[in-house]
Amino acid sequence: MAYQNQYRPPQYNNAPPDQSFLWNIFQRVDKDRSGAISDTELQQALSNGTWTPFNPVTVRSIISMFDRENKGGVNFNEFAGVWKYITDWQNIFRTYDRDNSGFIDKTELKQALTGFGYRLSDQFYNTLIEKFDRQKRGQVAFDDFIQCCIVLQRLTDVFRRYDTDQDGWIQVSYEQYLSMVFNVV
Amino acid sequence: MNFQGYGAPAAGGFPGGFPAQQQQDPLYGYFTTVAGQDGQISAEELQACLTQANFSGGYRPFNIETCRLMISMLDRDMSCAMGFAEFKELWAVLSGWKQHFMSIDRDMSGTVDPQEMTQAIGSMGYRLSPQATNSIIKRYSSNGKISFDDYVACCVKLRSLTDAFRKRDQAQQGVASFQYDDFIQSTMSI
Repeated sequence: MAYQNQYRPPQYNNAPPDQSFLWNIFQRVDKDRSGAISDTELQQALSNGTWTPFNPVTVRSIISMFDRENKGGVNFNEFAGVWKYITDWQNIFRTYDRDNSGFIDKTELKQALTGFGYRLSDQFYNTLIEKFDRQKRGQVAFDDFIQCCIVLQRLTDVFRRYDTDQDGWIQVSYEQYLSMVFNVV
Repeated sequence: MNFQGYGAPAAGGFPGGFPAQQQQDPLYGYFTTVAGQDGQISAEELQACLTQANFSGGYRPFNIETCRLMISMLDRDMSCAMGFAEFKELWAVLSGWKQHFMSIDRDMSGTVDPQEMTQAIGSMGYRLSPQATNSIIKRYSSNGKISFDDYVACCVKLRSLTDAFRKRDQAQQGVASFQYDDFIQSTMSI
Protein backbone atom coordinates (compact mmCIF):
# COMPACT_ATOMS: atom_id res chain seq x y z
CA MET A 1 0.00 0.00 0.00
CA ALA A 2 1.33 3.39 -0.91
CA TYR A 3 0.69 4.67 2.60
CA GLN A 4 3.28 2.32 4.04
CA ASN A 5 6.36 3.65 2.43
CA GLN A 6 5.76 7.22 1.49
CA TYR A 7 6.19 10.84 2.30
CA ARG A 8 9.77 10.88 3.56
CA PRO A 9 11.54 13.20 1.11
CA PRO A 10 13.83 11.03 -0.99
CA GLN A 11 17.30 11.03 0.52
CA TYR A 12 19.76 12.74 -1.72
CA ASN A 13 23.26 11.34 -1.66
CA ASN A 14 25.11 14.61 -1.36
CA ALA A 15 28.48 14.26 0.27
CA PRO A 16 28.23 15.76 3.76
CA PRO A 17 29.25 19.41 3.52
CA ASP A 18 32.68 20.55 4.55
CA GLN A 19 32.70 21.59 8.24
CA SER A 20 34.41 24.91 7.62
CA PHE A 21 31.95 25.62 4.80
CA LEU A 22 29.07 25.03 7.22
CA TRP A 23 30.77 27.06 9.93
CA ASN A 24 31.10 30.03 7.58
CA ILE A 25 27.42 29.87 6.80
CA PHE A 26 26.52 29.46 10.45
CA GLN A 27 28.52 32.51 11.47
CA ARG A 28 26.94 34.64 8.79
CA VAL A 29 23.44 33.59 9.77
CA ASP A 30 24.03 33.93 13.52
CA LYS A 31 24.09 37.69 13.31
CA ASP A 32 24.07 38.44 17.02
CA ARG A 33 26.84 35.86 17.56
CA SER A 34 24.84 34.20 20.29
CA GLY A 35 26.07 30.75 19.25
CA ALA A 36 22.57 29.73 18.22
CA ILE A 37 20.49 30.60 15.19
CA SER A 38 17.07 31.91 16.17
CA ASP A 39 13.82 31.79 14.19
CA THR A 40 14.34 35.36 13.05
CA GLU A 41 17.93 34.78 11.94
CA LEU A 42 17.01 31.66 10.01
CA GLN A 43 14.06 33.40 8.41
CA GLN A 44 16.31 36.21 7.21
CA ALA A 45 18.78 33.75 5.74
CA LEU A 46 16.24 31.78 3.71
CA SER A 47 14.68 32.75 0.43
CA ASN A 48 11.35 31.59 -1.00
CA GLY A 49 12.06 33.21 -4.36
CA THR A 50 9.50 35.98 -3.92
CA TRP A 51 11.25 38.77 -2.04
CA THR A 52 8.75 38.32 0.78
CA PRO A 53 9.84 36.88 4.14
CA PHE A 54 10.10 33.12 4.42
CA ASN A 55 7.00 31.56 6.00
CA PRO A 56 7.54 32.03 9.78
CA VAL A 57 5.45 28.96 10.58
CA THR A 58 7.77 26.85 8.42
CA VAL A 59 10.82 28.43 10.08
CA ARG A 60 9.39 27.54 13.49
CA SER A 61 8.72 23.96 12.38
CA ILE A 62 12.24 23.53 11.07
CA ILE A 63 13.92 24.98 14.14
CA SER A 64 11.83 22.88 16.49
CA MET A 65 12.65 19.76 14.45
CA PHE A 66 16.36 20.17 15.13
CA ASP A 67 16.44 22.09 18.41
CA ARG A 68 17.16 19.23 20.79
CA GLU A 69 17.39 21.39 23.86
CA ASN A 70 14.16 23.31 23.45
CA LYS A 71 16.08 26.57 23.53
CA GLY A 72 14.27 28.22 20.64
CA GLY A 73 17.25 28.07 18.28
CA VAL A 74 19.84 25.73 16.80
CA ASN A 75 23.52 25.53 17.67
CA PHE A 76 26.24 24.62 15.17
CA ASN A 77 25.84 20.85 15.55
CA GLU A 78 22.09 21.05 15.09
CA PHE A 79 22.52 23.46 12.20
CA ALA A 80 24.14 20.72 10.10
CA GLY A 81 20.78 18.94 10.21
CA VAL A 82 18.92 22.12 9.29
CA TRP A 83 21.24 22.75 6.37
CA LYS A 84 20.79 19.22 5.01
CA TYR A 85 17.01 19.36 5.49
CA ILE A 86 16.68 22.57 3.54
CA THR A 87 19.09 21.42 0.82
CA ASP A 88 17.07 18.23 0.37
CA TRP A 89 13.88 20.27 0.00
CA GLN A 90 15.56 22.58 -2.50
CA ASN A 91 16.50 19.56 -4.59
CA ILE A 92 12.98 18.18 -4.43
CA PHE A 93 11.47 21.54 -5.28
CA ARG A 94 13.75 21.96 -8.29
CA THR A 95 12.91 18.44 -9.44
CA TYR A 96 9.20 19.09 -9.51
CA ASP A 97 9.28 22.72 -10.65
CA ARG A 98 9.61 21.38 -14.15
CA ASP A 99 9.05 24.67 -15.93
CA ASN A 100 11.58 26.36 -13.64
CA SER A 101 9.14 29.09 -12.75
CA GLY A 102 10.24 29.22 -9.12
CA PHE A 103 6.75 28.08 -8.17
CA ILE A 104 5.03 24.74 -8.08
CA ASP A 105 1.68 24.83 -9.83
CA LYS A 106 -1.19 22.42 -9.37
CA THR A 107 0.08 19.89 -11.94
CA GLU A 108 3.59 19.93 -10.53
CA LEU A 109 2.23 19.62 -6.97
CA LYS A 110 0.21 16.60 -8.06
CA GLN A 111 3.31 14.98 -9.51
CA ALA A 112 5.31 15.73 -6.36
CA LEU A 113 2.78 14.39 -3.88
CA THR A 114 1.88 11.40 -6.05
CA GLY A 115 5.59 10.75 -6.28
CA PHE A 116 5.74 10.73 -2.50
CA GLY A 117 2.99 8.13 -2.47
CA TYR A 118 -0.10 10.18 -1.61
CA ARG A 119 -3.37 9.38 -3.38
CA LEU A 120 -5.39 12.56 -3.42
CA SER A 121 -8.31 13.66 -5.57
CA ASP A 122 -7.89 16.31 -8.23
CA GLN A 123 -10.35 18.56 -6.41
CA PHE A 124 -8.34 18.27 -3.24
CA TYR A 125 -5.29 19.86 -4.87
CA ASN A 126 -7.32 23.03 -5.28
CA THR A 127 -7.97 22.96 -1.55
CA LEU A 128 -4.30 22.38 -0.78
CA ILE A 129 -3.18 25.30 -2.87
CA GLU A 130 -5.84 27.59 -1.44
CA LYS A 131 -4.74 26.58 2.04
CA PHE A 132 -0.98 26.91 1.65
CA ASP A 133 -0.38 29.44 -1.11
CA ARG A 134 0.45 32.62 0.83
CA GLN A 135 1.42 34.53 -2.31
CA LYS A 136 -2.10 34.14 -3.68
CA ARG A 137 -0.86 33.15 -7.14
CA GLY A 138 -2.55 29.77 -7.34
CA GLN A 139 0.89 28.18 -7.11
CA VAL A 140 3.11 27.37 -4.17
CA ALA A 141 6.42 29.01 -3.44
CA PHE A 142 9.30 27.10 -1.88
CA ASP A 143 8.42 27.82 1.76
CA ASP A 144 4.72 27.09 1.34
CA PHE A 145 5.57 23.85 -0.46
CA ILE A 146 7.65 22.72 2.51
CA GLN A 147 4.86 23.76 4.88
CA CYS A 148 2.29 21.73 2.96
CA CYS A 149 4.51 18.66 3.01
CA ILE A 150 5.25 19.08 6.72
CA VAL A 151 1.55 19.15 7.58
CA LEU A 152 0.82 16.11 5.38
CA GLN A 153 3.70 14.35 7.07
CA ARG A 154 2.43 15.18 10.56
CA LEU A 155 -1.04 13.93 9.77
CA THR A 156 0.44 10.74 8.38
CA ASP A 157 2.54 10.29 11.53
CA VAL A 158 -0.44 10.70 13.79
CA PHE A 159 -2.53 8.34 11.67
CA ARG A 160 0.21 5.71 11.76
CA ARG A 161 0.33 5.85 15.54
CA TYR A 162 -3.30 4.78 15.69
CA ASP A 163 -3.15 2.30 12.83
CA THR A 164 -1.64 -0.46 14.94
CA ASP A 165 -2.44 -3.27 12.51
CA GLN A 166 -1.19 -1.15 9.60
CA ASP A 167 -4.11 -1.81 7.31
CA GLY A 168 -4.69 1.84 6.43
CA TRP A 169 -7.78 2.15 8.67
CA ILE A 170 -8.21 3.60 12.13
CA GLN A 171 -11.12 3.59 14.51
CA VAL A 172 -11.11 6.49 16.92
CA SER A 173 -13.38 8.07 19.46
CA TYR A 174 -14.52 11.63 19.01
CA GLU A 175 -12.11 12.85 21.65
CA GLN A 176 -9.17 10.99 20.20
CA TYR A 177 -9.95 12.43 16.81
CA LEU A 178 -10.04 16.01 18.08
CA SER A 179 -6.82 15.59 20.02
CA MET A 180 -5.08 13.94 17.06
CA VAL A 181 -5.99 16.53 14.58
CA PHE A 182 -6.65 19.84 16.27
CA ASN A 183 -3.07 20.91 16.66
CA VAL A 184 -1.85 19.69 13.31
CA VAL A 185 -4.11 21.48 10.86
CA MET B 1 -28.31 5.76 22.85
CA ASN B 2 -27.05 8.40 20.53
CA PHE B 3 -23.71 9.97 21.33
CA GLN B 4 -24.38 13.25 23.01
CA GLY B 5 -21.05 14.98 23.12
CA TYR B 6 -21.03 16.57 19.68
CA GLY B 7 -22.20 20.00 20.63
CA ALA B 8 -25.54 21.65 19.99
CA PRO B 9 -26.02 23.24 16.61
CA ALA B 10 -24.45 26.67 16.79
CA ALA B 11 -26.77 29.30 18.16
CA GLY B 12 -28.74 30.95 15.43
CA GLY B 13 -28.02 28.22 12.88
CA PHE B 14 -30.80 27.65 10.43
CA PRO B 15 -31.19 25.60 7.26
CA GLY B 16 -29.68 26.88 4.02
CA GLY B 17 -30.94 29.96 2.26
CA PHE B 18 -34.13 30.39 0.26
CA PRO B 19 -33.00 31.41 -3.19
CA ALA B 20 -36.42 32.58 -4.34
CA GLN B 21 -36.61 35.25 -1.68
CA GLN B 22 -33.04 36.36 -1.66
CA GLN B 23 -33.70 39.66 -3.38
CA GLN B 24 -35.83 40.84 -0.45
CA ASP B 25 -33.31 39.73 2.13
CA PRO B 26 -31.52 42.73 3.67
CA LEU B 27 -28.30 40.75 3.85
CA TYR B 28 -28.41 40.12 0.11
CA GLY B 29 -27.63 43.68 -0.86
CA TYR B 30 -24.71 43.59 1.48
CA PHE B 31 -23.54 40.30 0.05
CA THR B 32 -23.62 41.43 -3.57
CA THR B 33 -21.57 44.52 -2.80
CA VAL B 34 -18.82 42.41 -1.32
CA ALA B 35 -19.05 39.42 -3.64
CA GLY B 36 -18.73 41.39 -6.84
CA GLN B 37 -19.23 39.92 -10.29
CA ASP B 38 -18.72 36.29 -9.52
CA GLY B 39 -21.38 36.18 -6.78
CA GLN B 40 -18.97 34.39 -4.50
CA ILE B 41 -17.03 35.66 -1.50
CA SER B 42 -13.35 34.85 -1.15
CA ALA B 43 -11.44 34.92 2.13
CA GLU B 44 -10.11 38.41 1.37
CA GLU B 45 -13.57 39.73 0.52
CA LEU B 46 -15.01 38.19 3.66
CA GLN B 47 -12.32 39.83 5.74
CA ALA B 48 -13.06 43.21 4.15
CA CYS B 49 -16.78 42.71 4.60
CA LEU B 50 -16.58 41.78 8.27
CA THR B 51 -14.18 44.62 8.95
CA GLN B 52 -16.41 47.12 7.16
CA ALA B 53 -19.50 45.85 8.93
CA ASN B 54 -17.55 46.45 12.09
CA PHE B 55 -18.59 42.93 12.97
CA SER B 56 -15.85 42.60 15.52
CA GLY B 57 -17.22 45.68 17.22
CA GLY B 58 -14.63 46.93 19.62
CA TYR B 59 -12.49 43.90 18.87
CA ARG B 60 -9.67 43.71 16.36
CA PRO B 61 -10.68 42.71 12.82
CA PHE B 62 -10.50 39.06 11.81
CA ASN B 63 -7.22 37.87 10.43
CA ILE B 64 -7.20 36.30 6.98
CA GLU B 65 -6.57 32.76 8.19
CA THR B 66 -9.71 32.87 10.35
CA CYS B 67 -11.67 34.08 7.31
CA ARG B 68 -10.30 31.22 5.24
CA LEU B 69 -11.35 28.81 7.99
CA MET B 70 -14.87 30.24 8.01
CA ILE B 71 -15.22 29.77 4.28
CA SER B 72 -13.97 26.20 4.36
CA MET B 73 -16.34 25.41 7.26
CA LEU B 74 -19.31 25.97 4.96
CA ASP B 75 -17.67 25.24 1.61
CA ARG B 76 -19.82 22.29 0.55
CA ASP B 77 -18.81 22.36 -3.10
CA MET B 78 -15.07 22.72 -2.39
CA SER B 79 -14.99 25.93 -4.36
CA CYS B 80 -12.98 27.79 -1.71
CA ALA B 81 -15.53 30.61 -1.91
CA MET B 82 -18.89 31.32 -0.37
CA GLY B 83 -22.27 31.85 -2.04
CA PHE B 84 -25.19 33.75 -0.54
CA ALA B 85 -26.84 30.86 1.29
CA GLU B 86 -23.54 30.00 2.94
CA PHE B 87 -22.95 33.66 3.75
CA LYS B 88 -26.31 33.89 5.50
CA GLU B 89 -25.58 30.80 7.52
CA LEU B 90 -22.18 32.13 8.49
CA TRP B 91 -23.60 35.49 9.55
CA ALA B 92 -26.09 33.81 11.88
CA VAL B 93 -23.53 31.44 13.34
CA LEU B 94 -20.99 34.21 13.84
CA SER B 95 -23.56 36.43 15.53
CA GLY B 96 -24.31 33.67 17.99
CA TRP B 97 -20.65 33.14 18.77
CA LYS B 98 -20.07 36.85 19.13
CA GLN B 99 -22.92 37.21 21.60
CA HIS B 100 -21.56 34.31 23.55
CA PHE B 101 -18.07 35.77 23.62
CA MET B 102 -19.32 39.15 24.72
CA SER B 103 -21.25 37.54 27.54
CA ILE B 104 -18.02 36.04 28.86
CA ASP B 105 -15.78 39.02 28.16
CA ARG B 106 -17.32 41.10 30.88
CA ASP B 107 -14.54 43.61 31.12
CA MET B 108 -14.73 44.18 27.35
CA SER B 109 -11.03 43.57 27.04
CA GLY B 110 -11.40 41.67 23.77
CA THR B 111 -9.91 38.56 25.37
CA VAL B 112 -11.03 35.74 27.62
CA ASP B 113 -8.95 33.50 29.84
CA PRO B 114 -8.58 29.72 29.41
CA GLN B 115 -11.08 28.91 32.13
CA GLU B 116 -13.76 31.08 30.55
CA MET B 117 -12.94 29.46 27.22
CA THR B 118 -13.39 26.00 28.77
CA GLN B 119 -16.81 27.03 30.01
CA ALA B 120 -17.68 28.44 26.60
CA ILE B 121 -16.79 25.18 24.88
CA GLY B 122 -18.85 23.23 27.39
CA SER B 123 -21.83 25.51 27.05
CA MET B 124 -21.76 25.08 23.28
CA GLY B 125 -22.55 21.45 24.04
CA TYR B 126 -19.20 19.82 23.43
CA ARG B 127 -18.38 17.08 25.93
CA LEU B 128 -14.62 16.84 26.06
CA SER B 129 -12.16 15.68 28.65
CA PRO B 130 -10.05 18.32 30.44
CA GLN B 131 -6.97 17.12 28.54
CA ALA B 132 -8.62 17.45 25.15
CA THR B 133 -9.99 20.88 26.05
CA ASN B 134 -6.63 22.02 27.37
CA SER B 135 -4.76 21.02 24.24
CA ILE B 136 -7.31 22.84 22.11
CA ILE B 137 -7.12 25.99 24.20
CA LYS B 138 -3.32 25.93 24.36
CA ARG B 139 -3.28 26.17 20.58
CA TYR B 140 -5.18 29.45 20.67
CA SER B 141 -3.85 31.28 23.69
CA SER B 142 -1.27 33.98 23.42
CA ASN B 143 0.09 35.09 26.76
CA GLY B 144 -2.58 33.06 28.50
CA LYS B 145 -5.42 34.92 26.81
CA ILE B 146 -7.69 34.12 23.90
CA SER B 147 -8.72 36.91 21.55
CA PHE B 148 -12.09 37.11 19.83
CA ASP B 149 -10.50 36.21 16.51
CA ASP B 150 -8.85 33.11 17.97
CA TYR B 151 -12.05 32.16 19.77
CA VAL B 152 -13.91 32.23 16.46
CA ALA B 153 -11.16 30.23 14.75
CA CYS B 154 -11.41 27.65 17.51
CA CYS B 155 -15.22 27.45 17.23
CA VAL B 156 -15.00 27.05 13.47
CA LYS B 157 -12.47 24.25 13.71
CA LEU B 158 -14.41 22.45 16.40
CA ARG B 159 -17.53 22.60 14.28
CA SER B 160 -15.78 21.52 11.07
CA LEU B 161 -13.96 18.65 12.71
CA THR B 162 -17.13 17.52 14.46
CA ASP B 163 -19.02 17.54 11.15
CA ALA B 164 -16.26 15.48 9.52
CA PHE B 165 -16.26 13.01 12.39
CA ARG B 166 -20.05 12.70 12.50
CA LYS B 167 -20.19 11.76 8.82
CA ARG B 168 -18.02 8.76 9.56
CA ASP B 169 -19.77 7.73 12.76
CA GLN B 170 -22.50 5.66 11.15
CA ALA B 171 -23.84 4.21 14.36
CA GLN B 172 -23.78 7.59 16.13
CA GLN B 173 -21.88 6.02 18.99
CA GLY B 174 -19.02 8.50 19.16
CA VAL B 175 -16.63 6.20 17.27
CA ALA B 176 -15.61 6.72 13.65
CA SER B 177 -13.55 4.81 11.13
CA PHE B 178 -11.20 6.58 8.79
CA GLN B 179 -9.38 5.20 5.80
CA TYR B 180 -5.99 6.86 5.35
CA ASP B 181 -6.57 8.77 2.09
CA ASP B 182 -9.94 9.95 3.33
CA PHE B 183 -8.41 10.98 6.68
CA ILE B 184 -5.80 13.11 4.98
CA GLN B 185 -8.24 14.81 2.63
CA SER B 186 -11.07 15.42 5.08
CA THR B 187 -8.73 16.75 7.75
CA MET B 188 -6.71 18.97 5.43
CA SER B 189 -9.86 20.46 3.96
CA ILE B 190 -10.58 22.25 7.20
